[in-house]
Amino acid sequence: MTALRCALLSLVAVGIATAAPVEGRAFLDKYCVSCHSGTKPAAGFNAREIAAPTAETDTYRWSRVLARVRASEMPPRNAPTPAADEREKFLSWVDGGMHSGACANGAVAGPIPIRRLNRDEYTATIRELLNVHQDAGHDLPADGAGGEGFDNAAEILSLSPLLAEKYRDAAKRTLEFAIRDSRARARIGIVEPSKSLTPAAAARQILDGFLPRAFRRPVTETEKQPFLALFQAAQREHLDFDHSVVFMLRGVLMSPRFLFLSVPPNPGPVARPLDDYALASRLSYFLWGSMPDEMLFDLASLGKLHEPEVLHEEIGRMLRSGKSMGFVDSFTGQWLGTRNLGRDLTPDAKLFPKYVSDAELRADIGFQPAVFFHTLLATNAPITDLLDSNWTILTKKLATLYGFDLKKLPKELDEQPKRIELPPDSHRGGVLGMSAVLAVSSYPYRTSPVLRGKWVLESILGAPPPPPPPNVPTLEEHADTQPATMRERLARHRADPACAGCHSRIDPIGFALENYDALGQWRTEDAGKPVDNTGTLPDGASFAGPDELRALLLARKDLFLRSFTSRMLGFALGRGLTLKDRCAVDAILAQLSENGYKSQTLIEGIVMSPVFRYQAGSAK
Amino acid sequence: MKKTRFPLSRRTVLRGAGVTLALPWLEAMMPAAPSKAVPAPVRLAFLYMPNGVNTSAWAPEGAGKDFKLSPTLQPLEAFRDQIIVPRNLWNEAAKDGDGHYVKEAAILTSTRIQKTLGEDLNSHGVSMDQIAAQHIGNATPLPSLELGISPEATGVDLAVGYTRVYGCHIAWSSPTTPLARETNPRSVFERLLRAAEPRRDDAKDEALLLDRVLGDAKDLRAELGQTDRRRLDEYLSIVRSLEQRAESSAANGNKQWKPRVPLKGVTPPPEEPKDYAEHVRLMLDMIALAFQTDATRVSTFMFGNAVSNVSFRWLEGVSGSHHDMSHHANDAEKLRQYQLINKWYVAQYAYLLGKLRDAKEGESNVLDNSAIIFASALSDGNSHNMHNLPVVVAGKAGGKLATGQSPMYPEDTALSNLWLAILTAMGNPLERFADSTKPLPGILT
Repeated sequence: MTALRCALLSLVAVGIATAAPVEGRAFLDKYCVSCHSGTKPAAGFNAREIAAPTAETDTYRWSRVLARVRASEMPPRNAPTPAADEREKFLSWVDGGMHSGACANGAVAGPIPIRRLNRDEYTATIRELLNVHQDAGHDLPADGAGGEGFDNAAEILSLSPLLAEKYRDAAKRTLEFAIRDSRARARIGIVEPSKSLTPAAAARQILDGFLPRAFRRPVTETEKQPFLALFQAAQREHLDFDHSVVFMLRGVLMSPRFLFLSVPPNPGPVARPLDDYALASRLSYFLWGSMPDEMLFDLASLGKLHEPEVLHEEIGRMLRSGKSMGFVDSFTGQWLGTRNLGRDLTPDAKLFPKYVSDAELRADIGFQPAVFFHTLLATNAPITDLLDSNWTILTKKLATLYGFDLKKLPKELDEQPKRIELPPDSHRGGVLGMSAVLAVSSYPYRTSPVLRGKWVLESILGAPPPPPPPNVPTLEEHADTQPATMRERLARHRADPACAGCHSRIDPIGFALENYDALGQWRTEDAGKPVDNTGTLPDGASFAGPDELRALLLARKDLFLRSFTSRMLGFALGRGLTLKDRCAVDAILAQLSENGYKSQTLIEGIVMSPVFRYQAGSAK
Repeated sequence: MKKTRFPLSRRTVLRGAGVTLALPWLEAMMPAAPSKAVPAPVRLAFLYMPNGVNTSAWAPEGAGKDFKLSPTLQPLEAFRDQIIVPRNLWNEAAKDGDGHYVKEAAILTSTRIQKTLGEDLNSHGVSMDQIAAQHIGNATPLPSLELGISPEATGVDLAVGYTRVYGCHIAWSSPTTPLARETNPRSVFERLLRAAEPRRDDAKDEALLLDRVLGDAKDLRAELGQTDRRRLDEYLSIVRSLEQRAESSAANGNKQWKPRVPLKGVTPPPEEPKDYAEHVRLMLDMIALAFQTDATRVSTFMFGNAVSNVSFRWLEGVSGSHHDMSHHANDAEKLRQYQLINKWYVAQYAYLLGKLRDAKEGESNVLDNSAIIFASALSDGNSHNMHNLPVVVAGKAGGKLATGQSPMYPEDTALSNLWLAILTAMGNPLERFADSTKPLPGILT
């Protein structure tokens, strides 16, 4: 039955409670062995003979089983299908088995694949390197996302021919601007030739200072040669000194040593720590989305950066710096999906004229989640403030949009974003009170409890519902009469066994947020009728309105914390997580709960984790 | 320089017409026709529409040469004799997986993509347009031109387990290289300009520069591990192809290639299109310009990414967005709006066809010397169905395509057979393409 394709993910049951082994085996016997056994088992997978899941045995095979059964791709459509709770128990048996004992030795280092700078990182790096305040990467193609959902995932940063052309053009354009700008010349370290300094010697001096910064580590004499040769070639073509320098530096900015982050392979059998320069880059591309600054380079050259106290200091300094907005903006925009606001998703001009006409309001709405998270990090507030908080970030325009009485707020507001203690019953705590979030989880012209519910499951709890099963008869096809309201229609939806499995989890969450319109403004009526914001989850938990939903999410914060930590770790590592990385997530979660979920504990936990600071050996 | 030979500037036009008149760019500003008859090349463009069609209003009435355009295809009335509307095509490789990504990413490869959030991204094929580009791309400054409207989508789709990268690319130059798209018309224009009017000195410098970069990259390669080398090799290969282009411009001053019409004096398009409709038109103008000048002979264009939820409330009679309407659940009102959106897309296609037909090339015109394809990867968007895919081919590909018909094929005929026929028409008769069996019969002359 299609109903059962919607198995899995209840809000409650994703703990790692291991089901009795007999149940797991019984599932295999009942649903799998008819194809997956005998001399020629389907897909080479013998469900009768495979050893029970553990951290060591057949992990690849078991992770395939996990993925396919979870996605309801197995058992196949034409075979008997397990009931939803049967499926869940089986999944937690596999998952628990694979996880048990896996972390006996704590977190282990993974691979550090080479990756190119993405568009935002390229722009920020050029800005820092040349001190030019231009969007050098504006013409580069946008990058897609992979792994934990971010556009810095190594595996997804592919190389189109267009990119080579764009790198060439961006380098030329930016350097030709920089060479005429005194601040940029100073940052590049332009040395003028003189009577005592030949042009060639001056070029070498420039390169001696510039190249280690561009490549983010000390460089050898051999590595300088190709660029000095470019300078010489330009001189032979009778270009003047400045233009010869530009020609030389164009080569540097096209070099893969500049465009890519890479570490030499670790051929040994055991993990080894990254050297301090590699660590400096890893830190700065995590917390700033840009190259290391002078301080990080200095600490690396002294060989001190890896020391725990030094790292602790540096993390604090980096988070307090304005440059961490690069990281925060990129992370929140992709985690919450708010980056789509104003792109594919723009609130309707007729319904929300002020959104379309007021550029300042648009910017305030767009910035609120990032500034909130930046403030949260800088003040070391708990991560759970993202679910609910007694403060938020407001500007005058945002406060007006949210219906606050400006005179009653504790601070006077203007166009600058400020941290404001929220009055009781403001309904604006955490990310679920933010216009950007509420807009991207709606249609441009109306709210959708289904979209909002799905958004919360996916973004907040990291437990997205599977897609609707194919060829389910739609509501209207077997409806005699058309129900009047969205709630009635969705109620019928949930009464249909084909849909209930998922929609009984999705819809109540969405209904609790119905007090916010498609731009996140508060409402008590919708189309002349009072908003009905009540809902009951399959486990019986019932609630009304966004505040009770927040309380419910807080009471079940573990799911959120795991999902959030995994995402942040994936972002920090610039790659998708593997099964092995879960030990690192476990360790970080343990630290978090010991430290009252303080946000800097999360960042520090990630940086101090072996997966961040070590590189796995490639020999078995 | 005789002024009359060059088109009017946009400002001149606006001054003459009264400032309020918003002229579609290029309407009056297309470059002059080529001065003397040079044999015309054959071009290939593919326009991708997301989210499928209202199937009840798509298929023509009748079949073969005797067919009547459906309501949705009405905007093509003026091109009835220049189009082929093949029926009952189907993309077998994309039948499983999810409702959108698998189907969209594979529309030009006819292969089954790897299910992944990022690691092991693989289309398992090269797209038909890129096969064509690999064959004829060396003859032009740009081997192909990939265009779109929406930037790369954010995030991964956890619900179905695919990275959204799959939903943003139809052109694959290798199984692991989805080609990046340009979405800014001004950037495309400047790129065309540079391609059409290269300066020999620049090209020489550039060849030298890239040569050194390649040398440096090879040194780095030696320092890397096996897996990392593969990624760096991809970089080496794109820099090398840039270098080769620069070298050939430097060596012969581009004697082998000349723009078929001059681009100089054509007014650049605006930096920021005012809305979606203008954005689409400008991108189509860029394809027309690229084909007219011969800057490239192969182009793909995406009206939107898979699952595009672009709002169509600005279109008369429509109150929602495209993806929303595609899940019509047989609701009459939603179906009506779905069809209006489909028809608008077809009208944009007709706009491009009109531009190309009006661009004379000796006795013929650019449209006659092209194959311009319009398609979606789904037929009914509500059920994510692929039976009887909506596809239209326009233009005679230099006399190779028998247009003016709507051939009826057996149910679930391989789409790859059409691609095989198109490649044959493009002068690249392969034995096989993906899961093809033979070129689609009846459409090659």
